[in-house]
This record gives sequence, structure tokens and C-alpha cells, in this order.
Amino acid sequence: MKLFAYKVALWALFALSCIPISVHGAQPDSLFQEKEAPSVSRYERRVARGRHIWSALIPRQGIVQTAGNMGLVSVGVGWNYGHRDKWETDLLLGFIPKYDSSRPKTTLTLKENFLPWRLAVGDRGWNVEPLACGLYVNTVFGHEFWQKQPSRYPKGYYKMLSTRFRANIFFGQRVTYEIPARHRSFVRSLTAFYEVSTCDLYLRLMFQGGSVHLSDVLGLSLGLKLQFF
Amino acid sequence: MKRTFLLFFPLLFCACDSVFDVHPYDAHVGGARGLNASGMEAITAACAGKDTLRFAFFADTHAWYSDARDIITDINQRADSLDFAIHGGDLTDTGTTLEYRRAREQLLRLRLPWVALIGNHDFLGTGDQVFDAMFGAKDFAFLAGNVKFVCLNTNATEYDYLAAVPNFDFMEVEMQGGGELFERTVIVMHARPGSDQFNNNVDKAFGRYILDFPNLLFCLSAHDHHLQADDLYGNGLMFYGTDCALHRAYLLFTVTPTGYTYEVVRI
Repeated sequence: MKLFAYKVALWALFALSCIPISVHGAQPDSLFQEKEAPSVSRYERRVARGRHIWSALIPRQGIVQTAGNMGLVSVGVGWNYGHRDKWETDLLLGFIPKYDSSRPKTTLTLKENFLPWRLAVGDRGWNVEPLACGLYVNTVFGHEFWQKQPSRYPKGYYKMLSTRFRANIFFGQRVTYEIPARHRSFVRSLTAFYEVSTCDLYLRLMFQGGSVHLSDVLGLSLGLKLQFF
Repeated sequence: MKRTFLLFFPLLFCACDSVFDVHPYDAHVGGARGLNASGMEAITAACAGKDTLRFAFFADTHAWYSDARDIITDINQRADSLDFAIHGGDLTDTGTTLEYRRAREQLLRLRLPWVALIGNHDFLGTGDQVFDAMFGAKDFAFLAGNVKFVCLNTNATEYDYLAAVPNFDFMEVEMQGGGELFERTVIVMHARPGSDQFNNNVDKAFGRYILDFPNLLFCLSAHDHHLQADDLYGNGLMFYGTDCALHRAYLLFTVTPTGYTYEVVRI
């Protein structure tokens, strides 16, 4: 399974590096055409195109977030894209303190957010996103966690269980302050948000036990998001 | 601006149990700890000088909380005629800290002294570490009247058979230690010999070894989710298995100076 993941990652990387060559000429980019002088060589155009595409991988956001079943605090980077930037992908590194276990732990989260609406409040750069929702998968590092049950167990012993991977679902709200262009020094806008989330293991409890209510398994997460550009 | 505040109003309705969830396996025990130590002390104190003991043995409550609650309520209704209760393991289903907290909440409703063993499900993730903090050592023993109850961790599969499980050194110490104080022995475990959790390489060795305990009355186990009463080694030593909470049954034992009886309680 691990090998498979590596292979997919390698192929994705390879495919990405091929893009500048394969789409070259097919979709002329106005930005580059303006700059292009007749003297610019095929090679230089290719490099410029390559740089442009790889630049999409530069994170546009910085995030710091508490709880949410991914650690006491998580920090990471994010990308927003799509129609009116309604979609976001976050990559977060979380920290779980030791508490009553043998050592502190780290987690990694891949998070997809959907923000259907953005409402301007006043004309001083404030706006509100009344709904943010999405899914995220979290993996926790440590030998005590497994992706699927190790071979020492009989088949189907711990059914449908991975102690390493958690699927989470959340909804929340946001408020954003767009810094006026003349005052910008580091970031374009600042967003404060909260999310209410739960994970697969907790939903499983609800279906199993009776007397476990949604309010018992929901958790609150608070966060800050910086939009770099 | 008033409208903005209205939009954030739902925030106020998020009255969550523990507001911030760090991680399902964060092992943040909080609240009461070392519960078996205080449970054992209370049992020994309550049974001091008694020649007849009555106790409830239930197990495998997993996440069947409403069934577990009913079992505990039933035990509580008999609390006046009982001396203590033993939970035979599988306090949780996936070993998350939240499940441990809920199991603790339920066990603390018991109106009589109790102890809990670790089951294989309680090992998942950081579960075994939570057990250590919340309940105590995984192998433990206590005196009730003149009977020693030896509670053993037999979940060898969880360690991939690399640990001293069952722990013969622990048994050796308990066999000899305080020998003058007890005349009879009861052995309690989560998974019995021959089960998928037991280290079956030492199945027969275990069977012979436990006979060295003074007047071993019987053995108790759980794990298999059905009632059992078997002479596993063909030597007259009985192994009694209790049911899971889902099947809403548990065992009541009465140990008298001359022997013992037991009954199955179905609720």
C-alpha cells in the first residue's frame, strides 16, 4: 500500500513536470505573449511556462488551527482556487501533547474546504462566509497506529477499522478582514474561523451504542487564516 | 454590524461534551485515575472477615452503552446483597480516549466496589496507555475475604506474542506473596486459553502452572461474547465465560466456605 502511494506520487510529479511541454503552444497565455519578444527562444518560453505552472503550487494561505481531532494545534499552508475562490485545500501538521501516553505525537491532515457564499459587511473590507464545510483526512504518526490490521490478527478481526487514518467532517463560519492595499505589508487578508467537526470513529459510536448523541461527538475548532496573495 | 453577530449565533449552540477534541487517541485521561487501586482497597476492606462472598462478573460492554447502563443498573439494584463487581475487559470498542471516559463514567455509577480488566479492544491506538493511567496495572490481584482474585492480562495477540503475556513471573509472586492471608484463589482473565487472543503456545503450560495456586476454585473469562462453562483441561477446573453487554447477560457468583455457586442474570 505504501509502495503504491509512492508510485502514485512519483507519477503525479512526472506528469506535472511534463505539462509545460505538452500544452506549450496549445493554450497561449496572454501574460507571457505580451512579454514575449520575437527573440525569445523556444527554450526560454518553455522555462517561463514551466515556472508559471509550478508557481500554482506556491501556497497562498497560512493556517493555524486548534483541536478538530488533528492535534492540540495545527499549522499549515493552503491553496484557494476555483470560481471566486470557493474551494480550498489545506495541508496541516498537528501536534498532540503527551498527556497520559508515552510521548507526544504529530499528525498530518489533508483538508478540503468549500465556501459557497461570501457576504460583504459594510465597505471597510469586512466580509463574512456564513458557511464553510468540508472533509479532511488525518494520519497520526507512531508505531502503535496501523492503517489496516496487522497480519497477526485473523482476517476481519477489527472490522473496518484503521487506528491511523481518520476521516473527518466539519462545518463552520468565517469572518475576513481585507487589508486595504495601501496598508498591506505581509498579508492581503486575515480570516478568523470556527469549525464544528467529528470523525468516523465517533460517528461509528453513535450507530453502535444508543445513548451517544451528536452533541457528544462534536468538537469545536478555532483558527486563523492568512491570505498571502 | 448587528447582522454579523447574528450570523455567528450558531456558535452559542455548540454545547459540546468536551468542547475541543484534540485527537481520538490523545490519551488525555482527565478526571479519576488509578481506579483499580482504590477499587481493590475497597473490596478488601468490605470483604474483610467475611466467609461468604457474592460478586457480579460482567464484561465486553464495548460501545453498547444503553445495554451496559442497564446491566449496571441491575447490579446496583442487587448492591445490598453483593460485595463487589468485576468488569472482564473490552471497556471500549476502538480504544479511543472518549470511549474510555464514557466507560469510566458508567463504571463510576456502580454502588459497590469494582475493578476492571483490560480487553483486547482496549489496546487499540493508545488505549493500553489510557488503561494504565485510568485503571492501573494490567496484571493485578486483590484479597476478598480469604480468597485471592488474580486478574491477568491474557491479550497476547495485541503484543504480537512478544510480551510476557500471560505473565508467569507475576503469577509466581502472587502464588507465594501473602500466602498466609488467603486459602483459595480465583483467576480472572479477558481471553481464555485456546482463544484467538491467548498465547496458545503456552496454553497447556498455563493450565498446569495455575494449579500451583492454593485451592484454585475456578477461572473467569470474557471475550467470546457468549456464556461458557467448560472444563478446559479435563481436570475438573472450570472456566466460566460471561456474555457481552449486547446480549444483556452477566454472571453472579457466591463463594461459600465449602464451595461456590453461580447464576446467569438476564435482563
